[in-house]
Amino acid sequence: MTLTKDHIGGLLFLALSVVYGYYAYEIRMFPGDQFEPFNAQTIPRALAWVGSIVAILMLATGSRSATERLSFAGLDVKLVAKLMLLVWIFAQALSWLGFLLSTIGFLLVGYWLLGERRPRTLLLASVPFAVGFWFLLAKLLDIYLAPGQVWQWL
Amino acid sequence: MWDGIIAGLDTAIAPFNILMVVVGCFSGTFIGMLPGLGPISAVALMIPITYGLDPASGIILMAGVYYGAVFGGSTSSILINAPGCASTVVTAFDGYPMAQKGQAGKALALAAYCSFTGGTIGALILLVAAPALATVSLSFQSSDYFALMVLGLSAVAAFSGKGQVLKALAMTIFGLMVATVGTDAISGIPRFTFGNLDLIDGISFLLLAMATFALAEVVMSVLKSEHKLEEAPMDMSALGSMKLTKEEVKHVAPTAARSSLFGFLVGVLPGAGATIAAFLAYGIERNLSPRAIKEKFGKGALRGLAAPEAANNAASTGSFVPLLTLGIPGSGTTAIMLGALIAYGIQPGPRLFVDNPEVFWSVIISMYFGNVVLLVLNLPLIPYISRLLIIPRPILIPLILFFSITGVYLVSFNSFDIELMVLITVIALFLRLLNFPMAPMLLGFILGGMLENNLSRALIISDGSLAFLWQRPLTALIMSFAILALVLPIVGRFFGWRRMEGKADMNVVDQGEG
Repeated sequence: MTLTKDHIGGLLFLALSVVYGYYAYEIRMFPGDQFEPFNAQTIPRALAWVGSIVAILMLATGSRSATERLSFAGLDVKLVAKLMLLVWIFAQALSWLGFLLSTIGFLLVGYWLLGERRPRTLLLASVPFAVGFWFLLAKLLDIYLAPGQVWQWL
Repeated sequence: MWDGIIAGLDTAIAPFNILMVVVGCFSGTFIGMLPGLGPISAVALMIPITYGLDPASGIILMAGVYYGAVFGGSTSSILINAPGCASTVVTAFDGYPMAQKGQAGKALALAAYCSFTGGTIGALILLVAAPALATVSLSFQSSDYFALMVLGLSAVAAFSGKGQVLKALAMTIFGLMVATVGTDAISGIPRFTFGNLDLIDGISFLLLAMATFALAEVVMSVLKSEHKLEEAPMDMSALGSMKLTKEEVKHVAPTAARSSLFGFLVGVLPGAGATIAAFLAYGIERNLSPRAIKEKFGKGALRGLAAPEAANNAASTGSFVPLLTLGIPGSGTTAIMLGALIAYGIQPGPRLFVDNPEVFWSVIISMYFGNVVLLVLNLPLIPYISRLLIIPRPILIPLILFFSITGVYLVSFNSFDIELMVLITVIALFLRLLNFPMAPMLLGFILGGMLENNLSRALIISDGSLAFLWQRPLTALIMSFAILALVLPIVGRFFGWRRMEGKADMNVVDQGEG
């Protein structure tokens, strides 16, 4: 049997609905709430059931054509993984290094990852932009940007 | 009503708000020109900026961006055959062949005039229809609202095209599931937070919109290595004349009028939107044309360009009707605007017309200004705006990523939000690879809270009985439409009229819809 995109989608959605349904029944309620016509579990329970039915329909009616198989051929998964990691590191750096340095670092590495290698372009497209944006936020719009924990220690 | 119109006009002609229309149209045109970035991403990118503005100015800016993005999408469709958004895919059918014949200037001008016609006719109908509908909808009860939301959500799935109905339905349910994360607004009980304090307030709609559209669309282009492709050069010197002859105007005028009216009606339907309006208007115009003209369709027919352009702009205006009068967004973009309005503390719906007439009317009036700006300022400046596209992709992509991330961070100042964005973007990318549409998820998420509130009220009033669904004639009527919306696509297949929508949706999945 060919496992197509429709089947993978259906299976994932079925798994999601089952797990969601399990936790929906675990939602705590105030005493007596279970006898009310509507409580915190009503919508989540209904969604879990409807979701499961839709997932089963997707599995039953999904395309079986071999051309519908999921393929990662030709996709630059590694580069996307690196970019996502960069965004995650940027999130951490914001609280440690502060907005300005994190932004410069993020842009420099981002340009470099996407193939820009000229040092002049790398610097010109990151440092003035980051400084200008920081100035706009911190000085002109008076938005407080935490300086970063590292600077507080020094 | 006239007091409201005068208050709205007063707000709309305030110099700052006119500036917002101009800025919105320009930035929307630029973002819309970038292949892959559609109106949803353009509007989502503007949200953090609008938080600092008053509600009317913020919504006016977003409406300007919306129009600008649709117009920008048409420009890249005509000049380089790369539609910026799904609703302008049809524009390329006849617009690009015209550009290849050296009539790019004429194609751009025709697109702008027809967009203007569509937008103007749409705004005029909206001016009459919206207050009328708002007055009627004041008598709506919670059961009617619940039914309307079910109709909106099922229509989104129904209009999603051949083979996509179940996927769109699944994404709608997924959106509703995501909306249940956080503290339950009715009982105050935390749900699906797993003890994480950052999830107590739920997931912000801005975060979800940015992660599933702006961020996911840019990362998708990296995944497909599109950033390495050289953009087809736009030869601005070969634009040709932008003038249309009298005969040409006479030839396309009925098409523009018909398509505008039709586009507006399609736009009003919840979930239909500009893409379907453009495809259907193109199909109808081809069928109505005499044989000699019909054969020119796809080879640079003026009517083939006029029909989708008028229809998609009129539909964009039409999609504001359910948003402004019922509080139910008709498209992904208006769903984002709904989220923004709620963030301002304004509840769109029938009361908006009464409680915030200046917002209601200024949006409608500024829509018209937006169309004028696009025609008078953007059209002559297209050669200059499009020069911004020469910024190399390796530079542009990290900048768009940066704006998407900081847009969310500068609202909450919580780095957990960025981590959550990464997770949601990865999930969205995988779902896109599986051909799941994203807009229904966003719509489900935004309507989730309202749907739950109205259902709880209706159930409590009817003492837990589901009879409220058929006891009130209006609720029963709307529920029947909702059921029809789900059944019709299956019936429609037998008549073969869904073929074109299927074509549209292949692009919708990849490029984000209007």
